Amino acid sequence: MDEIIYMNIESSPSFLLFIFFGTVTVVTALSVIFQKNPVVSAVSLVFTFFALAGIYGIMGALFIATMQVLVYAGAIMVLIVFVLMLLSQRAETLSRYRKHPIRLVLLSVFALGFFFLLYSALTTGVPHSDQVGKGYENAEYSFPIQGTATVNAKGNVGVVGASTYLDYLLPFEMISILLLVAVLGAVILAKKKNTEVEQTKDNVL
Amino acid sequence: MNPIINGIPISYILGLAGILFSIGVLGVLIRRNIVIIFMSVELILNSVNLVFVTFSKALSHISGETVVFFVMAIAAAEAAVGLALVIAIFRHKKSTNVDELQSMKW
Repeated sequence: MDEIIYMNIESSPSFLLFIFFGTVTVVTALSVIFQKNPVVSAVSLVFTFFALAGIYGIMGALFIATMQVLVYAGAIMVLIVFVLMLLSQRAETLSRYRKHPIRLVLLSVFALGFFFLLYSALTTGVPHSDQVGKGYENAEYSFPIQGTATVNAKGNVGVVGASTYLDYLLPFEMISILLLVAVLGAVILAKKKNTEVEQTKDNVL
Repeated sequence: MNPIINGIPISYILGLAGILFSIGVLGVLIRRNIVIIFMSVELILNSVNLVFVTFSKALSHISGETVVFFVMAIAAAEAAVGLALVIAIFRHKKSTNVDELQSMKW
């Protein structure tokens, strides 16, 4: 396994692209948590999301890359930036970590140990499955349906869509109900109470 | 299991996901601004998505990418409810510093 990896590192342009996007991801993620100004953190987070979309694209998961840009870099970031602007955040002082560097060092060591535990768990605890999953290698998806033999889907988006609507139909519908409930809850939480409504010239109606 | 995806060894991708997860955990631990804690949680969710896509490709099974789609929907719901909570708490306390949210401490 090691010889194969060393042979592929030099000759693969996608590996160089992965190195670039991975570096951008790590640097901007560190910028998210170490910037004093929350708006700068939010902009860094947008760059992290775009770099991750690039990594998904290199790996061939085009649907996920598109959804990353649309949902994360679009919708969720708009929510976060709106709230930041509405709340008029002040820059947070990070100086208390300069006063107590031991605490920062201890927390960093904790996160580093966390990373090594996670890495070893991920690389050794993987189920070593040799069977080819259904419909992925040839970008075709086969699902038994009454009457017809199989349903065929070609391409990454088609395969993900077929898997969503055939294998995961019930979770998909439950997700839609959950989104409805979450949005209603958000409206109720963020609404002012009736007693707090002030009469202004604009809402005489 | 295919150890290389398009010329990238999967251990490198998993390492990147681990680094991203740890950065998110560190952000939750050291920051006091509740919106930045939210952003760190988004980083954690993104690292999990990266692991799902990696194993979906390595095991040649599409379910991982479908699950990533669901994770994104859950993250959107979480952001909507969480930020509404932030606005409600800010209206009540006039602050977004989690050190000042101690009304349940006794």
